[in-house]
Amino acid sequence: MIRRIESTLLLLCFGILAAMAQTRTITGLILDKADNLPIIGATVSVMTPQGKVATGTTTDLDGKFRLDVPVADRQLTCRFMGYTTVTLNLKNGQTDYTVYMESASKEMGELVVTGYQQIDRRKLTSAVTTVKMSDEIIGGINSIDQALAGQIAGLSSVTSSGAPGAPVKLRIRGIASMNGTQEPLWVLDGIPLEGTEIPSMEDLQDIDNIYQTSIAGINPQDIESITVLKDAAATAIYGARAANGVIVITTKNGKVGKPQINFSMKLTYNPKTDIDRLNLLNSDEKVDLELGLLQSDYTYRENKGDVARILAGYGLTDAYKTGGWNALTPEAQADINALRDINTDWNDILFRDVFNQEYNVSLSGGSEKATYYSALGYYVEQGNVEGVKNDRFNLTLKTNYRINSKLKVGASVFANRRKQRSYLTYGDGFTNPVYYSRIANSYLRPFDENGNYIYDVNVQHSKGDDVADFNIFEERANTSNINTTTSVMSIFDAELKLDEHFKITSQFGLQWDEGTIEKYAGENSYAMRREKEQHVYAYSDGTRTILPDGGSNKITDSHQTQWTWKAMAEYQNRFKDIHDLELMVGTEIRHNEYKSLYSAVYGYNAMTLTSVPIVFPTERMAESVPLHTETFTENAFASWFATGSYTLLHRYTIGGSIRLDGSDIFGVAKKYRYLPLYSVSGLWRISDEPFMKNVTAIDNWGIRASYGLQGNIDKNTSPYLLGRYVQTTILPDHPEDAIRPDNAPNPDLRWEKTQNVNIGMDISLWDNAVSLNVDYYYRKGTDLIGMRMLPLETGYTSTNVNWASMENKGVEVALTTRNIHTKDFTWFTNLNFGFNDNTVLRETVAENSLTPSREGYPVGAIFAYRTAGLDENGYLLYLTPDGQKLPAKEYFQLNSAGASSLSAEERRNQLVYVGNTEPKVSGGFTNTFKYQRITLNINCIFNFGMHVQTQPSYSLTNYDRGLNTNHDILNRWTPDNPNGTFPRLLNSTDRPEEYAFYDNYNVLSMLDIYVKKQNYFRFQSIRLAYDLPEKWLKPIGIRNASVSLEGRDLWVIASDYHNFLDPETMGNPYATPIPKSFIFGLNVNF
Amino acid sequence: MKKTCLNILGLIAVLLSLAACNDFLDIQPVGKVMPHTAQEFRDLLTEAYSFVPTDRGKTVYRSDELVLNQATTTTEGLDSYLDIWRWQDGSEDETTESFNWRTFYYVSYIANTVIEQKDAITEATQEERNQLAGEAYMLRAYMHYILVNLYAEPYTHCDPATTKGIPLKLNSDVKAVLSRNTVAEVYASILSDIDTAEQLLNVETWGEGETYRFNKLSTDAFRARVYLYMGNWEQAYEYAKKVVDTHGELEDINASNTLPNHYQSVEAILSLEEVFPVEYQTNGQVNPNLISLYRSGDMRRSRFYRAETASITRVEKGGGNEFRCTFRTAEFYLTAAEAAMELNDMDNARHYLTELMKKRYAAVMYPRYEAEILAMTREELRQEIYDERFRELAFEGHRWFDLRRTTRPELTKTYNGETYVLQKDDPRYTLRIPPEAIEANPGLEEE
Repeated sequence: MIRRIESTLLLLCFGILAAMAQTRTITGLILDKADNLPIIGATVSVMTPQGKVATGTTTDLDGKFRLDVPVADRQLTCRFMGYTTVTLNLKNGQTDYTVYMESASKEMGELVVTGYQQIDRRKLTSAVTTVKMSDEIIGGINSIDQALAGQIAGLSSVTSSGAPGAPVKLRIRGIASMNGTQEPLWVLDGIPLEGTEIPSMEDLQDIDNIYQTSIAGINPQDIESITVLKDAAATAIYGARAANGVIVITTKNGKVGKPQINFSMKLTYNPKTDIDRLNLLNSDEKVDLELGLLQSDYTYRENKGDVARILAGYGLTDAYKTGGWNALTPEAQADINALRDINTDWNDILFRDVFNQEYNVSLSGGSEKATYYSALGYYVEQGNVEGVKNDRFNLTLKTNYRINSKLKVGASVFANRRKQRSYLTYGDGFTNPVYYSRIANSYLRPFDENGNYIYDVNVQHSKGDDVADFNIFEERANTSNINTTTSVMSIFDAELKLDEHFKITSQFGLQWDEGTIEKYAGENSYAMRREKEQHVYAYSDGTRTILPDGGSNKITDSHQTQWTWKAMAEYQNRFKDIHDLELMVGTEIRHNEYKSLYSAVYGYNAMTLTSVPIVFPTERMAESVPLHTETFTENAFASWFATGSYTLLHRYTIGGSIRLDGSDIFGVAKKYRYLPLYSVSGLWRISDEPFMKNVTAIDNWGIRASYGLQGNIDKNTSPYLLGRYVQTTILPDHPEDAIRPDNAPNPDLRWEKTQNVNIGMDISLWDNAVSLNVDYYYRKGTDLIGMRMLPLETGYTSTNVNWASMENKGVEVALTTRNIHTKDFTWFTNLNFGFNDNTVLRETVAENSLTPSREGYPVGAIFAYRTAGLDENGYLLYLTPDGQKLPAKEYFQLNSAGASSLSAEERRNQLVYVGNTEPKVSGGFTNTFKYQRITLNINCIFNFGMHVQTQPSYSLTNYDRGLNTNHDILNRWTPDNPNGTFPRLLNSTDRPEEYAFYDNYNVLSMLDIYVKKQNYFRFQSIRLAYDLPEKWLKPIGIRNASVSLEGRDLWVIASDYHNFLDPETMGNPYATPIPKSFIFGLNVNF
Repeated sequence: MKKTCLNILGLIAVLLSLAACNDFLDIQPVGKVMPHTAQEFRDLLTEAYSFVPTDRGKTVYRSDELVLNQATTTTEGLDSYLDIWRWQDGSEDETTESFNWRTFYYVSYIANTVIEQKDAITEATQEERNQLAGEAYMLRAYMHYILVNLYAEPYTHCDPATTKGIPLKLNSDVKAVLSRNTVAEVYASILSDIDTAEQLLNVETWGEGETYRFNKLSTDAFRARVYLYMGNWEQAYEYAKKVVDTHGELEDINASNTLPNHYQSVEAILSLEEVFPVEYQTNGQVNPNLISLYRSGDMRRSRFYRAETASITRVEKGGGNEFRCTFRTAEFYLTAAEAAMELNDMDNARHYLTELMKKRYAAVMYPRYEAEILAMTREELRQEIYDERFRELAFEGHRWFDLRRTTRPELTKTYNGETYVLQKDDPRYTLRIPPEAIEANPGLEEE
């Protein structure tokens, strides 16, 4: 990865030796092969046989050169930093040449941007990976978090949902902490971003909660490169926020030269997802299931399902139960059989094929005094679920000025406006279309012959929801949920170079995010009916809702502001040509504010924008319908930091950094306000040793080592009782203030600390044909903070405690090879993977805990009860350690109330370790083939060694026969199907203890049979690009252009994911599956 | 040398910025507070009061006060309460409301905090500190009292010294894992807390809208009830008499428009629990057997209930926070009567009973019933006091607890053609500890 450096000092020699011999004038143009842009400042020279420069020049702003060459010389050498040197053979009679130069490496050049500094890669002591953004990497994606999947060893990514704009969960080097965020810190051109946290998986299940992080606002097209800081040596300078790693985004700058106009366009086609994999029951099977259940002793929700409803309509329920099918009248039989003929394909009518678009145009250029880059971007993505849409409009303006030889200033503005549209799905899971498509019976029609909505009375089951009519198409038509975000990020920076050793830089960044979430429910919607039903009052003339007729509109406005100011003084010097010293000290202050305002109106008419005031009959009723809520929080931080490095003989480097963070965090004990975080590190560049001089195969070889301390404190738990003000009215007309202590105080809470060791090696061979980076890391976290369930007698359900210590060991390998390199054909391969081994070293398990200690197991350990099939009556059997098979009553020692009378410790001992939720190995595998103008890119990602706890296919006590389900239920034990492999449905009389146990305690999902392996290898992207020949383009004024065709997420090879759509989203039945997409791209440069 | 100078300059700049930072970091968050002052601790106690569960009221479903049926009960009512009503323990539908556990202890947690920090309260007189702590002791005792009566066997039907009750939570420590104390220990702790509170409480009467707070009189009222539940007749009689002696005025239902359990009624002693919230009004019917228990001339029948249609009768003595009621005078007339009867002091038993009846029956009818009372044997009088207690205190959260502490009779309910029976002395007279509590502390269920 560290390439051979072509010293530009060679330039100093040029021209002096201007040949006395006869010369001719050669002119030419040097272009970058990747983007056909001119290369400015490339050296063109005539070399002596001894390898010295005889004569030479550099290219101008247009990439052109003119050089007088002795007639005898037949070759020119073209060099440019970061590019592979090209030897140009001169032909007789030709004096004008076009030379294409190719980037020497797939990675960035010499300077590594850490956000605080730019470090010479030859002095880099820490584990840092940089990815240069290219068309291949960006491909069909619209958000940068998606672009990182499979690109960087040690960075794992999990797609939370296939919905438009859904965020991606990124983890760097496994899980370091259990408390709070595990998200890396994102930094844009030196300024850390706010609002990058992704909601938990539970919140994502509620698709009402449409959500985007501030990352989603950044247009990938504006990005030059992304640097991921992995070890403590790199991240310590960012302080406590960087415990999960740092992702530094560097955006594009204008380059000195002629104005460049770039236009790009992408058209994407997403076919609808096929849900056949779910193995749902068809109408015939479902009718048979309902008929069978009615004759069985399973009585839960006996009135649900259309079969029960038809029988009840004819008054034949009891007749059927005793007499069976033949006891029914022909009319009843005909009605039931009619259900079998209806086969509504919910997948077909709820989902759709979509066509999406993206356009970007940028203008850049500049002179020695100033450069500029400005860009506009627009993209729109429609969801496979109709009515779901996401769009984004971007504006980027960047300028840099060189005021004089000492002072440089820059200003940039990143603005975007994005809008996510969906419809309201209320709180009830069944209104989520993805989930609904799985539970709606196929014998149900959504519309009658006249096109009127038919309400689904089977899916409803939670408290009171069955009194409100529900039809998913009506819901889609009459509700909306729109999240609009306007975001502006502005960065100003200045650099004052006092002399060649001393430099002061300062940067000010301002981030504004203004968001509006508007949730509208029309009068004719389930959401509105349901809400009305929830607010009823017994008036003297009858009971009815207190809400007026009409719809509702609920708006949440949020304003987030942060500013960061930092100032740094840097000193660097070289003594006696062998001692390099670099020092930097700095300070940073940061302030953020978050404000939100919620407002609701009822009796709302979207056409007239009018609403009706609510007349509340009592104060208590008024409290239940809040119309206005506000929140406001404010935080301030001040930090000091310093780094230093010393390099001896250009090959031995030691470095260190320290940071002290102070914050206003209220209620945190003084002694916990500060914890210095620091790191020390070293680098040995073996390839620069004298004894390596003759080893020409090795271009670069270095060994790095670092140690650092990272830390974190829980900001929500205070040692003192900390409350917030609320309003309450206990007796009429007497509202009062009250103080609500939301969390139990914990005076014993300490900082959690993570020690971090990293040892790495970088080597590149044979003119960069092979470059390999290997890192070994060891992270040990002590006093880790985690949530512990409390006995409810404390008044709280949980609190945060220092619960454990844990270690992460891992190896990361990144291997880039140039397999074939000929004039017409090249083949590059990049393989990267991270191997992570996480072990909990110590975990204090509370006396009351039902789950065992994870000591010796990974933090993502899944524990399950060992089952041993079914007994002769279809009840689950459990396996004891000595091989006995016991029914639940004996195994759990159930009392008459269905509660286990075993002690917590005995319960813990029953659970056995069955797998880990985190991958053992994850990585990416990319192949790039180039044949003349054609490029083929195949990008794959993989995760191995993961397990997931899936939802049981059906509940033993609460399977609702009104809902559709998968085929597992047909394979359950029944008296007629004694060989069924799945447990029977239970009734409350045969084994009342077992019934109460399964009914009241969450045991079923903790059985080993529902834990699935999650290994997969995904063909993430296959992309074919073609660079159009210049001779076609030149006449129409186009410098260069390319077209591409890409297929994304076309295939996945995975361990068994039977009954699930995708191995990645097995744990979440509400998530929109990841769609396949086909993308056509066009890129034009003027 | 130059380098050193620059470094020193830089260092000075950093130090200066350090000094300037203290102000920058000194942000008082809006809306957040660590309680120190008397007013802040009052606000904290207000939080505790506002969270006092209404589970004593929820027992109206458990007892024989309400009737649920498909025709008149709302779906939401059936979803939430049907399985409580028909004693379907262990196989409830998942939509069934659960009885509280944690919330009682949340209130106790705040009470314990106030007790522990009593002497550190600033901007307060000693009286204010004492009053806050006194109320906290009362709150804690009252939470334990309801818990032990919901989740443990009645004191009068078990061996209190050995029967498991509920865990006593007497400090704010969140680390301790508790096990169940015996019923006797729980009652002893309740009485001891009341004793401590009596020393501390100094407010005689609270102002308008604040009568949900414990006052001095509430200690005697609470003791009278606790001793009644323990079957300690001497003490129950003594404290009930004390309440009646100091706060004996009854609402005359013939003359007054105010219902006796209204917070502004002359009978109100403590208006804390919202026993019968508005949604209960539409969830069930008044049991016809109860209606028929009101004899002609009993003004309560038309004042407590309203016949909406031929088949729908609604409870009028609830449905809003104006009917918050924990202790009111009439209860202590009945307690005094019952205790006197048990002590074989028939004259006083009859005296306290008829004093109440005078205010409840139409004047023309009252002499007839008075004559009946005077003629009753002790056994008849006991039943009469039970019935009068039912008639007077129905839908105020007393009935289920009264059934438990007295005879635990057989109850029968019919729903949709099916009959449900709660046997005499049925174990279901005691609620199961909620599964979520056992899951969080399996020790509660250990043998």
